[in-house]
Amino acid sequence: MNLNFMRRCSAAVNSKWIALSLACVLLLQISGCGRHADRIVVGSKDFTEQLVLGELFAQIIEHRAHLPVERRFYLAGTFICQQAILAGRIDIYPEYTGTALTAVLKQQPSGDKLDVYQRVQQAYQTKFNLALGRPLGFNDTFAIVIRGDDARKLHLKAVSQAAAFTPKWRAGFGYEFMERPDGYKGLVASYNLRFAEAPRIMDLGLITRALKERQVDLIAGNNTDGLIPALDLFVLEDDHHYFPPYEAVAVMREDLLKKHPEVAGALDALSGAISDDDMRRLNYAVDGQHRDAAAVAKEFLQQRKLIN
Amino acid sequence: MTASPSRVSETEEPAIEFDHASFHINGRPLLQDLVLSVKQGETLVLLGRSGSGKTTTLKLINRLLLPTSGEVRVNRKRTSEWDAIRLRRSIGYVIQDGGLFPHFTVERNIAIVPRIEKWPQPQIDARVRELLVTVGLSEDLLSRYPSQLSGGQRQRVGVARALAADPPILILDEAFGALDPITRSEMQKEFRELQQRMKKTVIFVTHDLREGLLLADRIALMEEGKLVVDLPAHEFARSGDPLVRAYVEAFSALPDPNQSEREVSR
Amino acid sequence: MNFLQFMMTNRQQVLDLTLEHITLAGVATLLASLVGIPLGILITRVPQLSKPVLGGANIIQTIPSLALFGFLLPAPWIGARGGRLAILALALYGLLPLIRNTYAGIQGVDPAIVEAGRAMGLTDRQLLLQVELPLASGVIVAGVRIAAVLSIGLATIAAAIGAGGLGEFIFRGLAMVNNQVILAGAIPAALLALLVDFLLGRLERRLGTLRLKT
Repeated sequence: MNLNFMRRCSAAVNSKWIALSLACVLLLQISGCGRHADRIVVGSKDFTEQLVLGELFAQIIEHRAHLPVERRFYLAGTFICQQAILAGRIDIYPEYTGTALTAVLKQQPSGDKLDVYQRVQQAYQTKFNLALGRPLGFNDTFAIVIRGDDARKLHLKAVSQAAAFTPKWRAGFGYEFMERPDGYKGLVASYNLRFAEAPRIMDLGLITRALKERQVDLIAGNNTDGLIPALDLFVLEDDHHYFPPYEAVAVMREDLLKKHPEVAGALDALSGAISDDDMRRLNYAVDGQHRDAAAVAKEFLQQRKLIN
Repeated sequence: MTASPSRVSETEEPAIEFDHASFHINGRPLLQDLVLSVKQGETLVLLGRSGSGKTTTLKLINRLLLPTSGEVRVNRKRTSEWDAIRLRRSIGYVIQDGGLFPHFTVERNIAIVPRIEKWPQPQIDARVRELLVTVGLSEDLLSRYPSQLSGGQRQRVGVARALAADPPILILDEAFGALDPITRSEMQKEFRELQQRMKKTVIFVTHDLREGLLLADRIALMEEGKLVVDLPAHEFARSGDPLVRAYVEAFSALPDPNQSEREVSR
Repeated sequence: MNFLQFMMTNRQQVLDLTLEHITLAGVATLLASLVGIPLGILITRVPQLSKPVLGGANIIQTIPSLALFGFLLPAPWIGARGGRLAILALALYGLLPLIRNTYAGIQGVDPAIVEAGRAMGLTDRQLLLQVELPLASGVIVAGVRIAAVLSIGLATIAAAIGAGGLGEFIFRGLAMVNNQVILAGAIPAALLALLVDFLLGRLERRLGTLRLKT
């Protein structure tokens, strides 16, 4: 019986069985691609701002382009998102122009928003067949943050003005900011900053509170951090344009836009619609008030009359 | 030189010659300075204990081994000059328990050489059936596997397989060694009849003197890699050589039942 | 919503990711077989190569999987796509079981049978194809089974470099601190491994009985 199996086996190898099963797998794969054609997949990275943006994209497409949207959020970082969109596993995700330039295209950033945007747009088009939406309106870059009352008391608006007062201040920075060549070292050089003592190196999650509690007087945080308005903190303008721009944009697969040009139109309704302040408030709603990201996104879209 | 046709009557031209052939491995001599000749159609029995060099001698014939010194010739041509594949396909090889391929049916086992020699299928089928008759097996064994056969049946299949392409030379290595005495005796008698009909050149290795005497035209006795005596079968038992005497005595001594009874009752 | 409801609601994604996972592990195992089996055959013919070949495959196996992914990332073409990189890495890991089992399987064939075949005048190729490989097939399939199950397991990590597959659920679930999502990846992956192990194990057993001597 077992040895008869051997004979059947050698017959099977020559016969249609193998071809048939291969055909089955291929069919599954192809039909797999088929199902993907009428669903849009929106991805996002794994932090709050990205979740909110992902929801905004997804909901605006659902309501304005009337297409079903699948969400693949919490992808662990730029590299994963890039791989996913190249492989066609996601169709759209929110990215920042500065990140695209340095992390994906591995080029040197400049301080000029428009220059960075155009370089990214062109490179993404030619190299990856990806389209860039117009900027959403906010800049998630590094922000030099001080307390609101210091800003008011000393009439400070920009970092260059604060340079006069920093010798009396303590600074707090995250570990990565200290290590990056375009972080602490460059900042100090660009603005000629001196501090009372060496900066405290802290966990990014604690740094904003430390500023509030007067343990430090100046930090480098996220421009769109939700706690900034909530804790009455002030973002000093980067008047030397030291930090590269990190404008938020939608990255989209060209193939998708060819099949569904209405998607580009739907997403374009968001261009310029979200200011720095708007993003901070949205972030705070999720992080600070523990509200659901989908609900927060929906509320925003309804308030701005972008959806019904 | 291609294999010569099978039914060649005994001539003076030697089929196989060992010309001072030796075989060493890792410095150990398994065979030393063998001088031996086998005529066409003759049956030579290589007799000896384990380690006497008989199997080594056999393997020099079908070039499983090459002599480290001296020459081995088959049909007057050195084995080193023969194409090994052609040489082996013109020599039938039977080993203990048949050496059958366990994953082939009886039919496929027997038909191996004709198939790789690309005989047309009808010819192969006919030959297989013919061989079954020759070795005394029934046709309904054709689709069985070796594990489903008895020892005697396997041995017969082994012989059939060796005969399949009708080689002029047959070499057998303790071919009947694994069989029970009755089957063994049957096989020996049948083989002898086969020999007399086919008149192939046969080299038969055994350690059993009686088997040797039954089947041989000539017996070559080996010990520790050297040839001790090389005599026609009917002269062998009468030889005065001490090793021969030892052999003969070993095979004629029978236990005496009366003797053991007397020992017990004491 | 309980776990099964979650799977049902997101069944399209589960199906997509499962298919991706099967593709990753399947292509990798196929590649490993196409390279490993001939290499295994080679070292039975050229014994001097057995040590370096087996040694090389062994070294690859000892490299931690995530580290291997990391090494291959900067490579041109391969590193450009997570899927390609993962398939290459998984195939490399599958090499050792396939080479080793092919080698052991062929070496394990009863030498008397091989010698009988040679003595009958089978060429080396005929011996390999008609005698040694069929008799070694059980052990070789065991090697395929090991490589396949290994690939299915390692493919979950491949999601970390953007190759997709069921590992994506696991990593996403970890970031979301959501057990259902984690399980949606972990359970199908485990079931897949068990299924493949079972099916190939059946095949292996059927072929393995051929090695019994006559």
